[in-house]
Amino acid sequence: MIKKFQNLNITWGTALRYIAGLIVAVYLLWRILQTTSIQGSYGPDTWMRFLITGLVIGGIYSLIAIGYTLVYGILFMINFAHGEVMMLGTFAGYFVLEAFAAISAPGSGDQSLSLLNAYPFPALVITFFVGASVSALIGYLLEKIAYRPLRGAQRLIPLISAIGASIFLQNAAQLLFGPQRRQYTNPDLLWRGTGWMIPVGEKSVMLTYTGTFSFILSILLMAGLLILVKKTRLGKSMRAVAENKQAAALMGIDVDAVISKTFIISGFLAGAAGVMWGIHNGLFNHYVGFIPGIKAFTAAVLGGVGNIPGAMVGGMLLGLLESLGPAILGIDFQLKDVIAFTILILVLIFRPSGLLGETLKEDKV
Amino acid sequence: MITAIKDGLRAGLITAIIFTFLILIGFTSVAANIIGDILGNPQVLNNETRLPVGNLLIFIALVGLFTGLVTLKKGSNPPWTDVLFRGLTGGILAGLIVGTVIYIVGSFHMEGVDFRAYLPNLGASQLGYLLFYSTPIAASKTYLLYFTVFSLVGALARKTLTMLTGLRNKLKSIKSQIIDWSDKKNFHSLVGNQLFQAGLIILVGIGLYFLPLVWGSYWNYIMGTVAIYILLGLGLNIIVGFSGQLVLGYVAFFATGAYTFALLTAPEPHAVGLNLWVAVGLSTLVSILTGLLLGLPILRLRGDYLAIVTLGFGEIVRILIRSDLLTPLTNGPKGVTNVGQPIWRGHVFSDVNYMHLLMLLVLAGLFIAKRLKDSRTGRAWIAIREDQTVAQATGVDTYKYKILALLLGAAFAGLSGALFASRNQFTGPEDFALMVSVNVLCIVIIGGMGSLPGIILGAFVLKGLPELLRELADYRLLAFGALLVVMMIVRPEGLWPGQNSKKGKMATFSNSLGEDNLEEKV
Repeated sequence: MIKKFQNLNITWGTALRYIAGLIVAVYLLWRILQTTSIQGSYGPDTWMRFLITGLVIGGIYSLIAIGYTLVYGILFMINFAHGEVMMLGTFAGYFVLEAFAAISAPGSGDQSLSLLNAYPFPALVITFFVGASVSALIGYLLEKIAYRPLRGAQRLIPLISAIGASIFLQNAAQLLFGPQRRQYTNPDLLWRGTGWMIPVGEKSVMLTYTGTFSFILSILLMAGLLILVKKTRLGKSMRAVAENKQAAALMGIDVDAVISKTFIISGFLAGAAGVMWGIHNGLFNHYVGFIPGIKAFTAAVLGGVGNIPGAMVGGMLLGLLESLGPAILGIDFQLKDVIAFTILILVLIFRPSGLLGETLKEDKV
Repeated sequence: MITAIKDGLRAGLITAIIFTFLILIGFTSVAANIIGDILGNPQVLNNETRLPVGNLLIFIALVGLFTGLVTLKKGSNPPWTDVLFRGLTGGILAGLIVGTVIYIVGSFHMEGVDFRAYLPNLGASQLGYLLFYSTPIAASKTYLLYFTVFSLVGALARKTLTMLTGLRNKLKSIKSQIIDWSDKKNFHSLVGNQLFQAGLIILVGIGLYFLPLVWGSYWNYIMGTVAIYILLGLGLNIIVGFSGQLVLGYVAFFATGAYTFALLTAPEPHAVGLNLWVAVGLSTLVSILTGLLLGLPILRLRGDYLAIVTLGFGEIVRILIRSDLLTPLTNGPKGVTNVGQPIWRGHVFSDVNYMHLLMLLVLAGLFIAKRLKDSRTGRAWIAIREDQTVAQATGVDTYKYKILALLLGAAFAGLSGALFASRNQFTGPEDFALMVSVNVLCIVIIGGMGSLPGIILGAFVLKGLPELLRELADYRLLAFGALLVVMMIVRPEGLWPGQNSKKGKMATFSNSLGEDNLEEKV
């Protein structure tokens, strides 16, 4: 009997892992059956609302997760300060919108009509562009100052440097702009809490304008990124560097420049996500990047870190799990962060390569 | 010449950006106040709303000097004219940028624009001080002048200094030939003498016994905090420093220890009323069990993944403690009050007793950590830290030793958690934010990974110094963050590196980045 086990090559660790996994799976199934079988606990309209929330947040997570994945794919390091890069984008977008709201539109004769409400779409485009560009710049500087001198160092060292950079950026934002919560000024067209009413069953669900806008924009940005990576010369060189740095350098690719550009692209996406976060949720302060940052990392791991479509799918999935999870499992909504972190732990224990990822060697895990 | 101007301009740009940043975070006036304190200048002049301008000018002069110093690269020795150019270009550029910023902001301020809604540190009093209570144009001229002059002075001083060190090195080499080494040998034999060592230990022991009696309760409180952080640092050092596993959720074990102790001894919400010393043991045990629960599944992961998973675990513990779900058990966000106090011979512990207890525990912890490090287990850990694959190949059961390290670390955290809760007579979920883990990690890394004296030094620097420099408390975390980055670039082995990590070793080891990446990826 013992010999048979030895032949199967099952160690205590693996056995324990799978037993624990089985218990968790059985418990979750039981919980889901229990909550869904109770009739009338949630109507279809509530489920619809959860679904919409999940998709919108999922889009934001996806954009940030792509940043983690791009950097991990090339440098094999977790850019711990990525959430802070997003936070600075949120701040930049806020200041641009405030400026637009403060200037009254020329030529209209109406003093109370601000530039923001007179030309909402150009204003929004500029806001997104500035927010994303600020984050891109921060990402570039971050790489140049905190990571580039550490190329070739032991693996923990860039990570500690990244943690340091994260603490620094968070506190710098607090000291610069103050610790209070601020509120985004949206154009009237895109006011929070307004939207289309969709009838679901007997009731109706609001599809907010901000949510729709964020979702569509995140899909567009992701499509743009995919085109960039698959079709352009830069994308080709990025893939080459991710595949093998030395071979890429031998083929005449400037590896350092490609790494810089990767940080710029991931910063740009994170900044756009930051502005979206502000427009959709309204309130923010200097902690705004921390939780989305970790969640987006979870999303990247969930989809398979280093894998761009994986990050997109992982982000959406995490957003959905987070908004539907508490309802499905019948637990408190306070615990939605616990769900995200538990998913992270479970994925890393049972499938470290993620849902779409290739199997990594133990070293990479 | 071209490189000289380029270097100068770069230095000027960097200092200008740093100085503008310092203005925006309100650090300039704090620094000026500190300079005032050091020089003994009065904080307030005749007119009560005005701060002394001289202190600010001294700070600007110091920044100017710094500009000049960094225009010269380390180890270079350019000719004097070159140095002149470097100092001048750097100073002028820095002065121009800072002066322009001050001029623009000052002009807006004069027109009545209020920046405080967006940049809270640019209030009227602050701006007035930055403008030296004069017009914007005059103030910006002063900035330009000070930066240029002192940058020049700095560059020249650096040049002089390099020449002097060259001379000193020559002197040293001559001296070393002359002086016999016998003095040093005597000293070594004295230190090596066991009797001498014993005497030293007794002296230090007596000193440590009497210090808390003399200090007063304020110092006992601060030093108690430092001692608790030394214990935490010793524990995390076993995990991160010895076995090389980056755990970012160390606070989870601290929290379990504190909460177990609090819930077992406090009258609310359970009124178990257990004996305190049993409760301390139990809380250590519960922390160890938590470590086992976490470690068994996840210690197969490496490096950065482990860091994020443990970070998530730490957050889960905190969220669970304060959630409605566990409120009946943990009292939720309100926390647990009236945590039990230790009693010795019928007296409740005073702050002096606490300090003595903590000192004893720190000594015991140091002893345990030292013995562990020198043991076979310690060597196995260090082997795992240096190269896990090689360690495994040489017959080290890496999984077992990593779990052992985590459990021992968790035990330290549980013990210090119990002490923390008992000493504060309170424990709440917000005591266990992520920042605690980061602080302890900073202690371990800044002191020197795997180095025991380094941890004591780190705990004093990170927990003791901020208490002393109250004015700088707001900038503490900012400085930590910057320090972590700079340490990793300049001195990854820490302030007081251990014997096992020779200088530069950390940097040469590479298993995932850079040159050695080829084989691993293919």
